[in-house]
Amino acid sequence: MKLYSTTLFLVCSILFFKATAQNDSMALVKGGVYLPLYGASGQTVKVDPFMMDIYPVTNEEYLKFVKENPKWKKSNVISLFADKSYLTKWENDTTYTGLPNAPATNVSWFAAKKYCECQGKRLPKIDEWEFAAMANEKVADARRIESYNQYILSWYETPRTFNNPIGESYKNYYGIYDLHGLVWEWTQDFNTVLITGESRKDGDKNPNLFCGSAAIGASDLMNYAAFMRYAFRGSMKARYSSQNLGFRCVKDIEI
Amino acid sequence: MCKGYRNLEFDMINKLKYFLIALSFVAISCNNSAKKDSTTSEDTSMETSETAKISDMSIYNLPSHWTTQDGEEIELKELQGKVLAMVMIYTSCQAACPRLVADMRNIEKQIPESKKDNVQYVFVSIDPETDTPERLTAFAKENQMEDDKWLFLRGTEEDTREFAAVLAVNYKQISPIDFSHSNIISVFNQGGELIHQQEGLGVNNKETVQAIIDLAK
Amino acid sequence: MKFKIKQTSLKNVALTIGAMALLTSCVNTQSDKTYENAVDIPVNQEMVAELTDPPFVPTPVGNRLAKKLIVDLEIQEREGEMVSGVKYIYWTFGGTVPGSFIRTRVGDEIEFRLKNHPDNKLPHNIDLHAVNGPGGGAESSFVAPGHEKVFSFKTLNPGLYVYHCATAPVGMHIANGMYGLILVEPEGGLPPVDKEYYIMQGDFYTEGKYGERGLQAFDMQKAIDENADYVVFNGHVGAMTGDNALTANVGETVRLFVGNGGPNLVSSFHVIGEIFDKVYVEGGDLVNDNVQTTLIPAGGAAIVEFRVDVPGSFILVDHSIFRAFNKGALAVLNVQGEENEKVFAGEIYEGIYQPEGSVIQSMPTSGSSKPKEEIKALSFEEKMKFGKDKYMATCVACHQGNGQGIEGAFPPLANADYLNADVDRAIDIVLHGKSGEITVNGKKYNSVMTAQALSDEDVANVLTYVYNSWGNNKTDVTPEMVNVVRNRK
Repeated sequence: MKLYSTTLFLVCSILFFKATAQNDSMALVKGGVYLPLYGASGQTVKVDPFMMDIYPVTNEEYLKFVKENPKWKKSNVISLFADKSYLTKWENDTTYTGLPNAPATNVSWFAAKKYCECQGKRLPKIDEWEFAAMANEKVADARRIESYNQYILSWYETPRTFNNPIGESYKNYYGIYDLHGLVWEWTQDFNTVLITGESRKDGDKNPNLFCGSAAIGASDLMNYAAFMRYAFRGSMKARYSSQNLGFRCVKDIEI
Repeated sequence: MCKGYRNLEFDMINKLKYFLIALSFVAISCNNSAKKDSTTSEDTSMETSETAKISDMSIYNLPSHWTTQDGEEIELKELQGKVLAMVMIYTSCQAACPRLVADMRNIEKQIPESKKDNVQYVFVSIDPETDTPERLTAFAKENQMEDDKWLFLRGTEEDTREFAAVLAVNYKQISPIDFSHSNIISVFNQGGELIHQQEGLGVNNKETVQAIIDLAK
Repeated sequence: MKFKIKQTSLKNVALTIGAMALLTSCVNTQSDKTYENAVDIPVNQEMVAELTDPPFVPTPVGNRLAKKLIVDLEIQEREGEMVSGVKYIYWTFGGTVPGSFIRTRVGDEIEFRLKNHPDNKLPHNIDLHAVNGPGGGAESSFVAPGHEKVFSFKTLNPGLYVYHCATAPVGMHIANGMYGLILVEPEGGLPPVDKEYYIMQGDFYTEGKYGERGLQAFDMQKAIDENADYVVFNGHVGAMTGDNALTANVGETVRLFVGNGGPNLVSSFHVIGEIFDKVYVEGGDLVNDNVQTTLIPAGGAAIVEFRVDVPGSFILVDHSIFRAFNKGALAVLNVQGEENEKVFAGEIYEGIYQPEGSVIQSMPTSGSSKPKEEIKALSFEEKMKFGKDKYMATCVACHQGNGQGIEGAFPPLANADYLNADVDRAIDIVLHGKSGEITVNGKKYNSVMTAQALSDEDVANVLTYVYNSWGNNKTDVTPEMVNVVRNRK
């Protein structure tokens, strides 16, 4: 198994080796402790420090990936890993529509995962993503600040933001852009969200559908901006893609 | 005239026979070369697409490696050829997993004798850290599931997450020893395509059993 | 030969009779069999449901047999106009608020295909109150943008039911317009009437006040406090007024399918000038007769029927009256036809009931209060537009749409000598109100005009509009002029 993964890694890196350049476009997120919206009730979660892409992956960058990994071209990708909406707005295998620096959307979780792997990175965990996204321009945890929530809610009301270029939303405390205001983003463990879609009952987890789910509830019913993100994650499956859904990568820090 | 006609027919049949024999030789040799391709392409499966045998929707497209309760390392596609009934659990689970195990046992009982050999029951652990092969063997013993038709697998955390994503099984670790997860039994055909899923505990498994019977040879 | 012909013609006749008998038995009408349990009603063939935009409804089911009914509904998040100048992002079923009207009959087996348009940001689902099953379909229909979910259910109970989205946060999804009605007609259908319409009340909560210009965002705190800025029929102010008013003819029976999407407020539904001959209380089987005002719960519905006997404008309101005149819960039914002096004889003024908007109106004073500044108009065209919007929201109730006023009650502003004689006096009246006798265009008026709590900008815009319309002297009123008058005393 080890031989296999090393071979895989080497193959990917040879094809897509840009390790040094990548560090310039990543920022350090110092670790910490926070209380997630959906977690074991009342329990804080520890997040280890990690590096996160400053911007989500763009059309131009994804095109490069697809050219070097033809298995992920629109006409080649197998349906186990991506459904019919994969790159649906691309005119053909190597032509995207929209700006080169607009976020790459309509990619499935498998595709996003592979992209990050080929960079020697990985998708962020929900906790890592939420931790980095709690910040506004000035502070690391802005979740109680009205203007922070307002910004997110008004983004929910703005149509077709997926056409915008990266970098137009605010630069947050860690120097990272576009965690809010542009597109939803894939996470490594999006399928830890146990929402049935019947949200009135999600307060009382159906123990038959989800084992142990009585233990998980929403820690702050007022935090409806975050609610939306979890509801969105809960509605996705790994092979789905969506026009409003892009991704970015993170990297562990070698200590 | 009739005689002549018959002769013609006879001639044609002969020709057809030879043609078919020749064709079969060609086919056999093609198959051989195809097998060769698949073995050499294992390491570089990133670049080439899979052989035509596995469909696009088959889980055998996942290159992940797993360890069985006997400590044996296998690739998922070695399970090809049998109907699979799969469920994701963890051995230290007290609540639903015992019921899922019971559900699986219940389904197995309802498969007719003639088809039993074509079905494989697979338990995939979502807690690979705790569920070592030793632990899996012990679990199998506790549940009297020691013969070949019961297979217990564990993989890396990443492979497990990926596999769950394919099955649309959601799970989350909520404490060092506890997980929340969806309770789904999935049925795959011999080619690895997902045919049926049953969600929930103690759900009427008639449809699941029927799906397996329909698929099994 | 003759005999043969007779035979063939006899055969023909027999054939024709036989064919007719066969055909009539194939026609999709009610069979004689009645079923005790709706569950047992068999379905006959497939049909794609006709969905309509409000205020119209699909064709009645009449006598048809129960069918497998395919409903195809798409969710769209789109921008609309709440009242002139105020934009709002609505989340809709089928592109409208309320969503498409679904018409079925008892025993139909419905294959419901819910689509979430790829441009949408959020996942949604649907809970239909007509469903007997968990969540009303909500779990089975939870769908991500760009995807489709299919589920099925059988209608077991006749009645008029609400449907709405149930994705967290539920209140917000409903408050943004995700509701509609599904009608399950009993066997044989509802008794036929002349006109049927679809109306649904809803309350809306915005960051800004009623009428505040621009794209308004949803305000969660106000929603929790149940402090609505807008209470409207069919999604926005004026959806069924003016050119969009409902119509009927004298002598016709009108049936209204009235729903209340909420999210919070209960409706006291009343039609001014009419009495409901029949009310299907809460959309169920219980029928109440001769009702003036009926309660429609949030998340509920009612069917009302009445015969219109005389021509005129009949105003539909929520009789929690400030909602009707100050928040938009007002719609119009225009009835045409012959007068019937016995039933009603009297003077008719058009437009006695008009929206008054949310500007706080108080008794005449000499104070000088000043509310906060709003978006400033930049050009003359903008002043006219903003002024007109404000006039139509506030002044039109008394002074009428073309400034003609109401004789004996409210003086005209069109070509008005009193107005044109003194600009500062006009500004003063708007700011501080007026009482006592005045003469306008030769006629005396002795009434009370309330002081209007408007900013300098708004007063300037409204008066500029008035002075530049209807033959007045085209003065351009500036905020500075208003300020001077305001601070004069």
